[in-house]
Amino acid sequence: MISAGIDVGAKNVKVVLLRDGEVVSRSFETIGLNTQAAIDGAFAAALRQIGAGRGEISKITATGAGRKEVKFADGELTEVGASAKGVHHLFSSACTAIDVGAEEGRAIKVDEKGKVLDFAVNEKCAAGAGAFTEAMARALEVGVEKMGELSLKSRTAVPMNAQCAVFAESEVVSLIHAKTPKEDIARAVHDAIADRIVSMARRIGIEKDVVVVGGLAKNAGFIDSIKRTLATDVLVPQYPEYAAALGAALHAATPTGGQ
Amino acid sequence: MKETFKELYDSRHEYAREWKKKTGGKVMGYFCTYVPEEILYAAAILPVRILGSHEPQDLTEPHIFGMFCPFCRDCLAQGLKGKYDYLDGIMIAQSCLHIRQAYTSWEMHIPVQYSYYLCAPHHVQSPRAVPFLAGELQDFKKSLEGWLGRKITEADLDTGIGIMNKNRTLLRRLYELRKQSQCPVTGLEAMYAVVSSQLTDKTEHSLILEEVLKTLEGSKSERPAGNRLMLIGSENDDTQFVKMVESLGATFVVDDHCTGSRYIWEDVPAGGDRLAAIAQRYIKRVPCPTKDWPLRNRLPHILRLARDYKVEGVILLQQKFCDPHELDTPAIKKMLEENGIPTLFLELDVTVPVGQFKVRVEAFLEMFQSEVLF
Repeated sequence: MISAGIDVGAKNVKVVLLRDGEVVSRSFETIGLNTQAAIDGAFAAALRQIGAGRGEISKITATGAGRKEVKFADGELTEVGASAKGVHHLFSSACTAIDVGAEEGRAIKVDEKGKVLDFAVNEKCAAGAGAFTEAMARALEVGVEKMGELSLKSRTAVPMNAQCAVFAESEVVSLIHAKTPKEDIARAVHDAIADRIVSMARRIGIEKDVVVVGGLAKNAGFIDSIKRTLATDVLVPQYPEYAAALGAALHAATPTGGQ
Repeated sequence: MKETFKELYDSRHEYAREWKKKTGGKVMGYFCTYVPEEILYAAAILPVRILGSHEPQDLTEPHIFGMFCPFCRDCLAQGLKGKYDYLDGIMIAQSCLHIRQAYTSWEMHIPVQYSYYLCAPHHVQSPRAVPFLAGELQDFKKSLEGWLGRKITEADLDTGIGIMNKNRTLLRRLYELRKQSQCPVTGLEAMYAVVSSQLTDKTEHSLILEEVLKTLEGSKSERPAGNRLMLIGSENDDTQFVKMVESLGATFVVDDHCTGSRYIWEDVPAGGDRLAAIAQRYIKRVPCPTKDWPLRNRLPHILRLARDYKVEGVILLQQKFCDPHELDTPAIKKMLEENGIPTLFLELDVTVPVGQFKVRVEAFLEMFQSEVLF
């Protein structure tokens, strides 16, 4: 029996296929102007990886901001519920899940069964989300995938006030003009995001183990900032951007079958 | 019939203009529910609560500090736009500084015949609060008589009290229906019913209410209530928000805010000095957080409501920068959660971010279904 989880985020579609509880396929596609094409493309790619046809998928659960766009889904789950479920499956010791995507950062408190106890989501501010790193990488003229390793080279903390992504960019520009080393600016960016996310997570209360997922969790510099801000170690799965899609796929595999 | 309340709410300005034409009477705009409308009805004045429009505006920046609450700015903006050009007077009873600023600014920049600041005491828990307010009401009555050029008699006061008590009693009967497992009234309908009573002639409003109650009492609703929620906040005529939540398989079965139960929960007692009785009602009413100290008397009241109406979860809706409510929120949240009632805190500006809020409300509602999912 194969079940599918499709996470339609603000920027990317992530698909996870599960066969008897084991992940057999992961695929990913960036949403351009056509969400539908990206969903179809990512789903087809996931099927291709295991040489399966659409008919072999028993149940599909959609999640993410654009989950209503998955017209062929059997059921849906909010990104909070899906992320909690995915995180709990990856680390059963997880009490706090921090999920940072392109445009949304979430902190979720989960119980020992993976049930959501409380949550907080960033609002009206992009400074606590992945899109912010991308904008700052552009200002620094480095690839977004280089931001992590660049910031890890920094030995100096530069305070930056990231209450607003637009004003933060002007702060970065000032730092560039002041000839601040790029690695220090990269670290300042990650520290600022970590500050925003951690202060949001404190609203729900942070308990160990803390698991960080979402696309931004692939950025080692950000993870380093989170650890320093929390003054504790955090767990990061191998494929953090697929946590919510995994949660959705697990939901699809339950006896109620994705409904 | 229930739709009438929404129609009244939507056409509040046309209604007031029409009322003036019909009766030749005066209309008083008021800023806070601590204003004793009994005395206005006694004087045959139509009290109309000044509310915002929930639309962004750019007029109030020179008059009100940007970190004052969106509600006070939205109210003032309506005046500056000329939406309330039919008002003969405006008044406020002291509650919070933000709304007082809207009143003061209105007084300065928008011409009205009459304006009155009523000093409603903050320390309502003091044994001297009732006589103090009764004295202030005496002054207010005198001022009103000076403006109108006629006396307000004891019999007039009884008429005013009667109109207000009757309307509140009927609205409480509407609330009573919401205790049922299949409530025949949605949170949105109840909100329209209460808010429209703040905008229209209550004698007329009561007639409509009686008709509505006649059809609803004893009838069964087809609509399942789903998750039973309570809404707590300040001034919350955010109908768009209530509608969105109730489209997700939930129902607001009760509330604690001043466009809801806080406005209707108590009546003016019978007998004795009429102004003292009115004072008694406003001092002993379910308090606004600006007046609920040193004891937090609202907490046991909220818990009682939650139990009486079998509430499963509470949404705390907060106007950005509303300090009095911000101060109470942690205590309310703690008390409810200790009693096994989960809460969701949402903060809003002048517009409702429906998309963002929907995500959170859906996740909140999902928490109630987790037993099945996990």
